[in-house]
Amino acid sequence: MSQLLQIENFTLGFPGRPPLLDSVSLHVNDGEAVALVGESGSGKSLTTRAALGLLPDGSQSSGRVSVRGLDTLTATGKQLMELRRRHASMIFQDPRAGINPVRTVGDFLTETLVRLDGLSRAEATERAVTQLEQVGLRRAKELMEQHPHQLSGGMLQRVMIAAALLNSPDLLLCDEPTTALDVTTQAGIVRLLRDEQQSRGMGMLFITHDLNLAASLCERVYVLRRGEVVEHGKTQTVFLTPEQDYTRQLVEATPAIEVGGLAAPVVAGPPLLKISGLSKTYQLPRGEIITALDDAGFSLPEGGSLGIVGESGSGKSTLARLVVALETATSGELLLRNLPRPNRALKASERKVLAKDVQIVFQDPYLSLDPRIPVGNAVADVFRLHQKQGRKEAKDSARALLGRVGIGQERFDARPRALSGGQRQRVALAKALAARPRLLVLDEATSALDVSVQAQVLELVEELRDQLGLTILFVTHDLAVVSRLCSELLVMHQGRIVEQGPTARILEDPGDDYTRNLIASRPRPLWDAEPVTA
Amino acid sequence: MTLAIRLPQAGLRRYGSLLSPMAWGALAVAAAVVLLSLFAPVLAPYDPDYVDLNNVLAGPSGQHLLGTDALGRDLLSRLMHGGRTSLLGPTVVVIGSTVLGLLLGLVAGWSEGWLGKVLGRLFDLLFAFPALLMAMLAIALFGKGLLAPILAMTIAYVPYVARLAQSLVVAERGRPYVQAYRVLGFRTPWVVLGRVLPNLIPTVGAQSTLNFGYVLADLAALSFIGLGVQPPTSDWGAMIEESRGALLGGYILPAFWPALVVVLVVVAVNVIGEELSDRIGGKLS
Repeated sequence: MSQLLQIENFTLGFPGRPPLLDSVSLHVNDGEAVALVGESGSGKSLTTRAALGLLPDGSQSSGRVSVRGLDTLTATGKQLMELRRRHASMIFQDPRAGINPVRTVGDFLTETLVRLDGLSRAEATERAVTQLEQVGLRRAKELMEQHPHQLSGGMLQRVMIAAALLNSPDLLLCDEPTTALDVTTQAGIVRLLRDEQQSRGMGMLFITHDLNLAASLCERVYVLRRGEVVEHGKTQTVFLTPEQDYTRQLVEATPAIEVGGLAAPVVAGPPLLKISGLSKTYQLPRGEIITALDDAGFSLPEGGSLGIVGESGSGKSTLARLVVALETATSGELLLRNLPRPNRALKASERKVLAKDVQIVFQDPYLSLDPRIPVGNAVADVFRLHQKQGRKEAKDSARALLGRVGIGQERFDARPRALSGGQRQRVALAKALAARPRLLVLDEATSALDVSVQAQVLELVEELRDQLGLTILFVTHDLAVVSRLCSELLVMHQGRIVEQGPTARILEDPGDDYTRNLIASRPRPLWDAEPVTA
Repeated sequence: MTLAIRLPQAGLRRYGSLLSPMAWGALAVAAAVVLLSLFAPVLAPYDPDYVDLNNVLAGPSGQHLLGTDALGRDLLSRLMHGGRTSLLGPTVVVIGSTVLGLLLGLVAGWSEGWLGKVLGRLFDLLFAFPALLMAMLAIALFGKGLLAPILAMTIAYVPYVARLAQSLVVAERGRPYVQAYRVLGFRTPWVVLGRVLPNLIPTVGAQSTLNFGYVLADLAALSFIGLGVQPPTSDWGAMIEESRGALLGGYILPAFWPALVVVLVVVAVNVIGEELSDRIGGKLS
């Protein structure tokens, strides 16, 4: 079998610094789907880009990267252009970044056909429409006239796939193409990619940080760590019987829905948080009214743990923000410790009292800490405000608390930029806990982290929950994370709560069609039985 | 999943990293001019107002390094002393407009209601009046001299700072770290003045540095048309004006030196300001 993409001893780096990629070797045959997995900074994207001759400015490389026998490290610009036009295509994580927002989808798809392949406008349009239909987009003709902002992320990613397939490439490079998408949308895109790859006999190199996804799509896998391939082989073999410690850690850290091994105790008692008929609507300038949250109701007992799961736009974040009073409800009732929340912006004094009841940790570890304030001071500030501690005492308390969340002494005076994503989330957690709240809201708090880091942070949250008797409200798109951390589950869809109850019950026997769809959409390994039809 | 965000360096540290050779040069020129002006009473070879009618419009010589003007006054000494007034004006204007602009920008950016909108429109309105026009209006009202134009210029340059600060505050306000402060129960004035304001200073500082050059040129222009600093006080703009007669008589130097210094300082300050804003812009994007 001919080797479509062959990378041999490929080393890439900047002069005077340790290499970014170190003797990477991998290959993709015709008709084969290969996964390249690794955590952020492992060099997945660099490797893939090199296949198209895209190297960072000022970098030095050695080794061989060839596509259909053409060495892309030494090829001329003209040869590379030919390669990109005829033999290899690439799709990226963010479809919106790759399309001109002021031109129509039709312009985008037909431009190369008209200008380079010499097709007439009509022929090109016909080809594009056929291709759009093939990638599962309905009303393709109307779509050709639309602009990117009128399409959802999932639709736009299908358009990008259509564009990548237009020149019938032999090799399709996919750089995390579903990471920005909801899980149900992702399932559709993955099915499409798999179908296209098999029916066309294309070679595919699929980059992802998600081992489940890799297993659901690819026969072979390469595991990359800090620029080195640590393990490769058949996906099933590598994931089920990993030889390297790192792969084993990665497999173990990858969250899976565990119905049996539920760690969270089921708690019954007086409610700490009780919500009924809670709604939030926004009025757009044109008078249109958007309902972000519609008639939500639930109660969460002291010491309990509730997971709120939903896709983007489901209203789950709105709910979280209402609980911490960053938003004001349009109507309905919210009782925290039996105290009704006024449906207006809180006064400073009310906010300070509320802070001791509820705290939040946000998703983005890069934006949720003040870039200028050393992390120790950031935590000490909270102690001074809420525990009425003096400067020195507050610093000692902060040091102790940071130590407890796994941030050592030596990091006390570090600014956030010197910390990794996982460390920043630990600091954010410490900051929230310094107010000694009863209820902790985690708004996708681990979603931006690598799986191994996510696993550690989740472990920490579990530990703190048990030690401090915290009540947890965990907002996430990831069912697996919830199955591990929360005894109660609430599923949201388009602003409404569609199902709620004990996590184990819902996961085993979902009562709602949407919940069933959500569970079925999680990627399943190729070697498993056919997915349960929803 | 990678979040490839290059974060802005914290606070004033953004200034810390090395400057380009061009910026170093500009900094050296600016520093030299400032020092020479500041220590003019000690360093200047002559009394700037000493009239020597026996030695008018002399060229550069060992006695008068840059020559003398139509009244026989030493040009170098007048330049050095003139710097004191010529640099004082823009300094006061820049400090005043930065402080006022920051405060108004913070208020406008933080208040989500009508106040922010009204202030925003007010800034737009001020933008519509050229600074020079406002200064002339103020002079018509309050009389010639340095004070009226400085006040007018300060007000005219407030919107440049305020608009920038407002947009920065709006961006910061939406960031999770600011929301976290709110949820933690910190009072708004503490958050705005103690935490958000310092994060704006590098960017606003770059804008104000650029403003310095514009104000210097504007004030020199006012003195040149006779509305600013009044004789016999030496001032670069006024020196050019006083030398018009000599210029027509073919004596270039008395007008050339002050003009050269104005150009040098404006260019130097612009280079520094551009460098700062480039660095901050590069780090933010």
